[in-house]
This record gives sequence, C-alpha cells and structure tokens, in this order.
Amino acid sequence: MSEPFNNTTANDVAEAQIKVSHPLAEMASMFFRNYAAVAGLILLIVIILFVFVGPYFHPVDPFEMVWAPFSRPMEEGFVLGTDYLGRDMLAAMMVGGQVSMAIGLAAALISLFIGVTVGAFAGYYGGVVEEILMRFTEFFQVLPTLLFSMVIVALFGASLLTVTLAIGVVSWTAVARVTRSEFLRIRELEYVAAARSGSASDWYLIFKVILPNALPPIIVQANLMVGSAILFEAALSFLGLSDPNVMSWGQVIGSNRPYILDSGFTVAIPGFAIFLTVLAISLIGDGLNDALNPKLRQR
Amino acid sequence: MKKHLLAAATLALTTVTAASALAADEPKQGGTLVMAIQTTPRHLNPAVQSGTATGQPGTQLFASLLRYDEGWEPQPYLAESWEISEDELTVTINLVEGATFHDGKPITSEDVAFSIDTVKANHPFKSMFAPVTAVETPDATTAIIKLSEPHPALMLAMSSQLLSIIPKHVYGDGQDPKAHPQNSENVVGSGPFKLTEFKRDQHIILERYDDYFMEGLPYLDKIVMRIVKDGAARTIALESGELMLSGFEQEPRDINRMKKKDTLDVSNAGYAAIGPVNWLAFNTQQGKTADPAVRKAIAYAVDRDFLLKAIMLGATEAALTGIHPGSPFYDGTVEPYDIDLDKANQLLDDAGYAKGDDGMRFPLTVDFGWASAKPVAEYLKPQLKKVGIDITVRSSADFPTWAKRVSNHEFDITFDNVFNWGDPVIGVHRTYSSQNIKKGVIWSNTQQYSNARVDELMAMAGATNDIEKRKKYYAEFQQILADELPLYPLYPSPYHTISNTQVGNPPNSVWGTSHPLDRVYLK
Repeated sequence: MSEPFNNTTANDVAEAQIKVSHPLAEMASMFFRNYAAVAGLILLIVIILFVFVGPYFHPVDPFEMVWAPFSRPMEEGFVLGTDYLGRDMLAAMMVGGQVSMAIGLAAALISLFIGVTVGAFAGYYGGVVEEILMRFTEFFQVLPTLLFSMVIVALFGASLLTVTLAIGVVSWTAVARVTRSEFLRIRELEYVAAARSGSASDWYLIFKVILPNALPPIIVQANLMVGSAILFEAALSFLGLSDPNVMSWGQVIGSNRPYILDSGFTVAIPGFAIFLTVLAISLIGDGLNDALNPKLRQR
Repeated sequence: MKKHLLAAATLALTTVTAASALAADEPKQGGTLVMAIQTTPRHLNPAVQSGTATGQPGTQLFASLLRYDEGWEPQPYLAESWEISEDELTVTINLVEGATFHDGKPITSEDVAFSIDTVKANHPFKSMFAPVTAVETPDATTAIIKLSEPHPALMLAMSSQLLSIIPKHVYGDGQDPKAHPQNSENVVGSGPFKLTEFKRDQHIILERYDDYFMEGLPYLDKIVMRIVKDGAARTIALESGELMLSGFEQEPRDINRMKKKDTLDVSNAGYAAIGPVNWLAFNTQQGKTADPAVRKAIAYAVDRDFLLKAIMLGATEAALTGIHPGSPFYDGTVEPYDIDLDKANQLLDDAGYAKGDDGMRFPLTVDFGWASAKPVAEYLKPQLKKVGIDITVRSSADFPTWAKRVSNHEFDITFDNVFNWGDPVIGVHRTYSSQNIKKGVIWSNTQQYSNARVDELMAMAGATNDIEKRKKYYAEFQQILADELPLYPLYPSPYHTISNTQVGNPPNSVWGTSHPLDRVYLK
C-alpha cells in the first residue's frame, strides 16, 4: 500500500521542483541571493517611504521661511536644520526627493524610449539603416554629456521639463548600443527565423519577438540610468541650471552651495540623500544583472 | 568772480589716505606689488572703454586732469589748477609744467583737447562731456573748456578713468580709437606706470615711469596685475600673501573670512563714486506692477534688513534711494519701506486685488541676471506669498539673456545693479529720465518710468554747480521716486579693498582701486 503513495510523493516533488524553476521565481531567488541587492532594495523602499509618505507626517511648505537661517540640525527644533533663507530642510528633503526621483524616472524613460527605438531598428535592419543610426548614436556619444545638457537648458530655459528632457536626450546612447547588440544576436536565432518564415511582419518581429527577449540587459541599463539621471539633475542644479520654482535635492545643494564653508550641513544632507539613493539603485541594478543575465549567472 | 584755485604746493601735503597720516612708517621707494583684477579688460584705454576692468590698469597708464580724495574733494593731477568762470560756462585748466608721455613727448593742451573730443565721441557715458562745445588751447599748458550750460558733472568726469589724457600724436592717427592697436600693446600713456606686458587671462605688468610728472612718485617699481576670475582663488592667494592687493571684492563670505586674518587689511572705504546700488526694478508700464500701490505693497513686504543680515551677512548697509549712500546727494530721509506685512496686505486689498481661494491675489515673475542675485530672487517667492503674490522665479541662462529680457521690457520685477559713476548726471539720471526709455539698451530707463517733475529736477540739478541747490533738487527728486517707486532700492554692493598689511597707502579714494596707485608703497 505504501509503495504507490511513495511513488506519488516522488512525482509530486518532481513537479514541485519544476514549479520552483519558473523563470520569474528563479529570477527572484537569484536576486535575493545577492545580499547587497536586497540591502539596496530595502534602502530604496525606506527612501521612497520617507519622500512620499513623510510629507503627510510633516506637512511644511519647503519654500516657507519658518525660522532663522542656518539653524543647525536638532538644535532649535528642526530635525535637519534650516537653509540659508531659514526654510525647513526636512521638508525640502522630502518634497525635493519626490522631484528628484520623478526627474530620474522620467529622464530614464525618455532615454529608454529613444535608445531602444534607435538600437532596435539599427540591430534589426542592419546595413545602411544601421550605419546611419549608429553614426548618429556615436555623434551623441562623443558629446560631453554634462556640457550638452547645459547647452540645452541654457537655450530653452531652466524649467522642470527642459531639465528632464535635457538629461534624457543626452543619456540614451548606452541603451541604444546594448539594444542593438542584443538585436544583432537574437535576430539570427532559430525562433526568430521560425517566426519570419511564418511571414511575420517586421513590426511584429521587432516588438513582439525580439524585444521581449532582449529586455534583460536593457532593464539593468535603465535601472542604472535612473541613478545617473538623479546625479545629472544634481550636477545641473549645482551649476545653477535648475528650475528655482521647484524644490529638488539638487536645487537644495545648488542654492546653498555659496554657504558651504560656513554651514556645510545644508549641502551635505541633500548630497548624502543623493548618494544613498544612487547607491541603492546601483545595488539593485547589480542584483538585477545577476538575476537577468544568464551568462553571468553561470560564473 | 568765483574762483576755485588750488596750488600745487598743497598737493605734496595731501596724502591719499588718512590712515597713512597716522602710520609711523615713511613711504619707501621700490618693490613689486602683485595685485588681482577680476576679468581681462577688453583693452587698456579707458578713454574709449568703460568698466573697472579697464579702469584699474588704465588709471595707472593714463593720468587724468584731476584726482579725488576720499572726501569727494578734487585734487590737482595733470591740472595744476583750474578756474570756473562766473557764468559757469568756461573752465580754464592750467596744466602742470614738464609732464611727458611715456614716449618722452610733452603733454600739451592739444592732447587734452584731443582726449576730451575722443571721449565725447567714443565713450559710452555720453552725458559726461555732452555740454562741451569747444576746447580752446591758447598755449601749451592752458586748456579752456567751453560749455553750453553749467555742467556740475564735469569735475568728476575729469578724474580717474573717465578722462584719460591720451597722446594725440599716437591715437590721433586717423584709426578708429576704439579699435586702435595701441590700446592693448605699446600703450603710450601719461600716468605713473607704463605697460610692460599684457597677456590676456594671465596678467598685466606695469613698470615705474621714471619721468612721471609728480615729484618722487610713484613709490613702486613694478605692479603685476594678475587676472584671477575665481573669488575663492583670490581669497586664498590674498591669505597666503601671494597677492598683496585686490579691489572690488564683494563676496560677503570671503570678506568676512579675510577680516579675521591678521595679515590683511579689509576696508570698505571708497567706491562711493563707483556707486553700485542694488535694487528691485519694476515694470511701471505693463502688468500689475504698473499700479504704484502694488509696487509699494511689494516694498513693504520685502524685509531689507533680513536680506542685509542673511544674504549680505552684514557686509553692506541699506540704500534707501537709487543714489549711493556715500554720495553727498544721498537723501536718507525718504520713506524706508521697513517691513510691514499688514500695510502691504491693506494696500493690495484697497487697490482691489482680492485674495483667491488659494490665498493668492495674482502671479508675478522675478528675474535675475547673475548667480549672486539668485538668493534674493528665491527669497521673494516665499516672502511675497505672505501678501498673496504668487512669484515665479525666472532664471536666465546667461547675462545677455537677462539683459535682453529686461531691456526689451519683458519683465515684472527684476533684481538689478546699476553704478552711479560719480556724479548723478552720469550714472543716476539714465535710470529715471523719460528721454532714456530705450528698448534694447540695458541700464537705460528699463522701468519705463516717466514723470515730468523728475525730468525737470534732473535738468535743473544737472545745470548748476551750486552744490546746495543741487542737494535740494536731488532731495525732492528722491522724495518723488520714493513715493512713486519705479524701483525699490536695497543696498550698495559691498565693494571692499583687501590689502596685505605690508602695503602702505592702500587706495581708498571714492574711485576705489580705479585710481592711480602712485602713492602706494611696500613696507
């Protein structure tokens, strides 16, 4: 009596093992095996909570001058002190973080859109199309990115939109190259040939067949781009090229920069916040790379 | 007959600074002074170029007819004495004997006439010599300036960098004086120092002119003017003793830091003739700021004392009018518009600008043209929100962008900084004269303000040498402006001269370091 049961159990176990190795679950397990990535994820969640939920517990207008300038952190009832106009640093960090993250995300999406489009067409069609698109990409690649974005902001004025666009427009080249190389590889694979022989349209092949399979390295790249876009925004703000009507971490650094020698904390706090956020994103990116890149996984 | 006569003998006794009179050390001959200037001048000829970048080396290379001490008193320089006729329409200048240009040729009244003509035709400050109808030269050391009307700005316009005496035999060769090759190299000057080398973005090296017309001067053998654009770099070099002198320093943090240094003397004496005043200018013709009640409400809502403390860190004082507080014509009795939020709200309520549901009455933009003005613009946003004005701060990519917006009158409020340039006729009238509303010209009457009485007062004050009358006219002028408020004055730029304690007689005339350094010496 017991034998058949035992057999069934063995089968169940085998089935269960197959279930465990579902791609997403496997990815998750690979990701969570990277402790640094997990730490990064937790850190990012904490920052997101601070930035987006924090203002409900600390509803202060970050532009309002609430106290004497340069009150040091914790000394006069302000957790992070006040800036050069006596504005609450804690509120500025919360509201500014929302903007910094939004800019980072939006700029990454813009560069993702441009980069994937250019890379996909170049990689898929090859030949003249590839030549033209890749020379175009190289043209953008050799431009000093910070300088180029400064020119864009200078030309069109410093607003939230132009800053975001400027960052997106200068940082898509890496995505384009990654996408192209993936397309070059995948378009020769058998399942693509099979789909093509089924007289699938170019459009279908690019976006339904090849792109989904090319996504893993692009996702890693996009993730890192969010981090670099946040840094970019800070750099532009540091140089005074940010929208003065919108609070962001970079804006806090930029406007307090002249006072760095007297009251360094007003610059150090947002600087540290940017550092933590970008670090968290990089760690997550590392974990994603482990989880999504099959070649690296075997090493 | 009214006469202004000053003998050359008094000159020898007149020291540039009061401080030097107290100092026990005697001036010493020799040595090299390494000083800083902040930008590369376009060229070195102040006769056809304004700005203190040209003025600082330019006043060493070229002498003017007069020089001014720290008490606004004209002193003899190339002019040994001068005399103004009873009707104030003729000014007779007696030149010092034996003065020569750096090429050895004598400085004559011909050169004075040529210099005045050149400045009149080419210098951007047209009002300086506008009433001059002719310069007569009866003999080599006498120049007679004929005027169409009494011209009180003439004395200041004959000093410092405003009237450089340039040699006719060099600059009168028919070439465009603004583009003359000898403006930058092989400069033939008339001042205490001659040019050795001018390297763009690097330095200007000046050497003692041994045949300088003032006996025993200059004390220094050599002046090296290093061009250092970065304020922090200048501060460090001054602290280390690498630089001995720097003028026109205006960064409050750097100034406060250097004040603590024992080896440095930090002085805000002088610069009254440069007269840099910062203000908030209003567009008096378009938008909400065309309503004087709105302008007054903004003035009451802005806390000038806060700006002085928090942003200027106490490095400067309040300016209640558009005339520099160091000027003899400054009237400090006008309405100061000390902060009064209730009054500001009341003014806006009475003028019919009701608060909306969000607590805001109307939006306005604030412009600023350079980085150091950004904090003030940022300050206005939360501050004016308190009276229901929704401020958008508009940053300009660079100075020309800002200048274009403001000079084309495309602004509501802007931070601005305008120099008085000695006499109000030269640097103040341009801001308020209804004749000077010139689209596209920055630092013209960009507020587009026009008031017949103000025009009249400026005309009267600009056509008499009677200082008491002028004070009266300018007092009324300032009272009207404080009432109609085309601009809300904030404070003068905190220009300071930083000098090493080893430097004797640091320049603190009304022109700051844009003044001959012939009495400066090294201890």
